[in-house]
Amino acid sequence: MIDLTDIHVDGPTGPLLRKTNFSIAAGERVGIVGESGSGKTLLALSMMGMVSDQLTVGGVINVEGRDMTSASEVDWRLLRARRLSMIFQEPMSALNPLRRVGDTVAAPLMRHQGYTREQARARALSLFEETGITEPERRLSQYPHQLSGGQRQRVLIALALACDPALLIADEPTSALDAEVALRITDLLVRLSRERDMALLFISHDLAAVSRTTERIIVMYGGDIMETGSTRTIMHASRHPYTKGLLAARPALSTLGKRRLPTIPGSVPPPQDLPRGCRFAGRCPVEMAHCATERPALILTSTGAAACHRHIADDSGGQ
Amino acid sequence: MRRLPVNLLIGGALVTLVISAASLSVIWTPHPYAAMDIPNKFAPPSATHWLGTDQLGRDLVSQLMVAAGNSMMVALLAVSIGALLGTVLGLVAAARGGWTEEAIMRLSDLGFAFPTLLFAIMLAAAFGPSLTVVVVAIAFINIPTFARVARASARQVWHRDYVFAARAAGMNRFAISRDHILPNIAAPVIVQATIEFAVAILTEAALSYLGLGAQPPAPSWGRMLSEAQTLMYLAPQLAIWPGLCIFIAVLGFGLLGDGLRDLSDPRLGQRRAHD
Repeated sequence: MIDLTDIHVDGPTGPLLRKTNFSIAAGERVGIVGESGSGKTLLALSMMGMVSDQLTVGGVINVEGRDMTSASEVDWRLLRARRLSMIFQEPMSALNPLRRVGDTVAAPLMRHQGYTREQARARALSLFEETGITEPERRLSQYPHQLSGGQRQRVLIALALACDPALLIADEPTSALDAEVALRITDLLVRLSRERDMALLFISHDLAAVSRTTERIIVMYGGDIMETGSTRTIMHASRHPYTKGLLAARPALSTLGKRRLPTIPGSVPPPQDLPRGCRFAGRCPVEMAHCATERPALILTSTGAAACHRHIADDSGGQ
Repeated sequence: MRRLPVNLLIGGALVTLVISAASLSVIWTPHPYAAMDIPNKFAPPSATHWLGTDQLGRDLVSQLMVAAGNSMMVALLAVSIGALLGTVLGLVAAARGGWTEEAIMRLSDLGFAFPTLLFAIMLAAAFGPSLTVVVVAIAFINIPTFARVARASARQVWHRDYVFAARAAGMNRFAISRDHILPNIAAPVIVQATIEFAVAILTEAALSYLGLGAQPPAPSWGRMLSEAQTLMYLAPQLAIWPGLCIFIAVLGFGLLGDGLRDLSDPRLGQRRAHD
C-alpha cells in the first residue's frame, strides 16, 4: 500500500533518519518500536507528508501506486483526507478545547465527503458507537474537558476513521493512558483494523503493546532500522543485540522485586553525536572493532532482517 | 469562584453608565437636544435643566447624552471594522507564512507609522469633514494593530497538537483557521478591541474638536469642548461637563480592557499584584 525507498530525513545538525526502506501492505498491522529520537515518528510523518518544513526529506514515497515524492501540499492534503490518517500520543492536547467533539469529528465528513450537517452528525454518532464511546449521543455535544483520557483517545480514533482510511498511523496512542485503558485501546485498534481491512502502523516504545497489536515489528534506534521480522520472531528469536536488550529490560511479574531490572547501559546520544557506523555502537554488549565506523546493512534472514556486524560474522563463521 | 479584578469591576460600572446614557438618548432625552431657548442661556443647574444650558439655551444633559450615543456609534463601527479586517489579515498571515506573511506584516508596520490625525485631515480634505470620515480614519488605523495581535496569537495556536491532528485529517488552512485558530485567539482580540475602543473615543473627540468630525448641530463631546473654549471665563462648566464625559468613557473602557486581560491571563494579573 505504501512503499518508501531510500527515505531519509535530515535536520540542521545532521541526519535524523538514515536511508531506510519501508513498506506496508493493505490491511497489514506493523509495529515500530524504538526510544525517543529513534526516528520512528519521523518515518511515520514522512508517510503523511507532514514532516516539518525545517527538515528535508529525501527518497521515494509511493502511496497506492502514486509517486508522492514531489507532490504538492494540496495533493498530500487530499491523500490525508481520504486514504491516510493518524492518531497521537496526547489525547487532551490533540482536541480543540473550544470545540464540541462531535463537531471535530463531523468537520472532515462535511468537507471531504460532502455530507450535510445532519448526515455528518449521524455518521459521527455511528463512529462513536464503533469506537466504543459510552453514551455516544450525549458525547457528541460535549467538550474535550468533559471526557476521560480513554474517551478522548476514542474520539480521536473516530476522527481518524471518519473518511475510511486505508492506513491508520497510531503514534504512541497509549503512552498517556492508564494500563487498563491502554489495553482496551490497543484491542480496539486491532479489531478496527480487522473489520475494516485497514492497515495499521502502531508506533510505540512499549514492546508489549506492539506485540499485542501487530503481525510484523520494526525495531529502530538512532534513526536507523536495527531489526525487522514477524512479531513472533522479534519477541522470541530476535537476532540483534539492541532488540535483545529491549526485551530483557521488560519487567516481568515473576522476577519483580527479586532482582534489579536489566537495562541497556548508557543513554541515547544526541543525533549529531551518534556513531557513523552502527548507531548502537558504544552501548552494544557484543561490539566489534569496526562497528562504530561501518554501517551494517540490513541482512535478510529466513525470518526477518537484522543490521548487525556480529550477526553476519556469527552466521558466516558458523557455516 | 475567582475574584474579579477590581479594574474590571470599576471599568464595567463606568462603561455601563456611559452605554446606558447613550442607549437612553435614542428614545428619550430630558429636552430635544437642539431646542434653543435664547432668553434662558447660561442657565445654572435646576430641576428642568439638570446641568443648566449652554450659550444658546440648549439643555446640556440632553446634548451630552446624544453625544455619548454618537461617540459610542463611531467607536463601535470603527473598532469593529478595524478588528474584522485586521484579524482576517493576521489569520491569513499566520496560515500562509512565507512572503504573504512578510508582505502583510510590513504593510502593517507602514500603517503603524501613519499618524491618525494626518490621515483624518487628508480624508476630510478630500471628502469633507463628517463622522464617516472619523470612522474610516480610526478603522484604518486599527487594522495593523489587530493584524499584529491576531497573527502573534495565531502563530502560537498553529503549533498546538489539535491543529496538527486537523491537518492529519486533511483539513485545509482555511478550515483550520476558521474552526480552530479563530476561536482560540478570540480572547486576546476582544481584549485589544476594548482597549482600542477607549482610544477611538478619545480620537473621535479630538477630531470633532478640530472640526473634522461631527458637524453642527450634531452634538459631540469634542465639538462641545471646542465651542466652550471661547467661553472659558464666562461659563467654565460648558467645558467641564463634556471633558468629564470623555474622561469617564475613556477610563471606563481602558479599565475594562485591562481587567479582561487580567482575567484571560491570570499569571499577568498575579505578577502585577506583586509589583
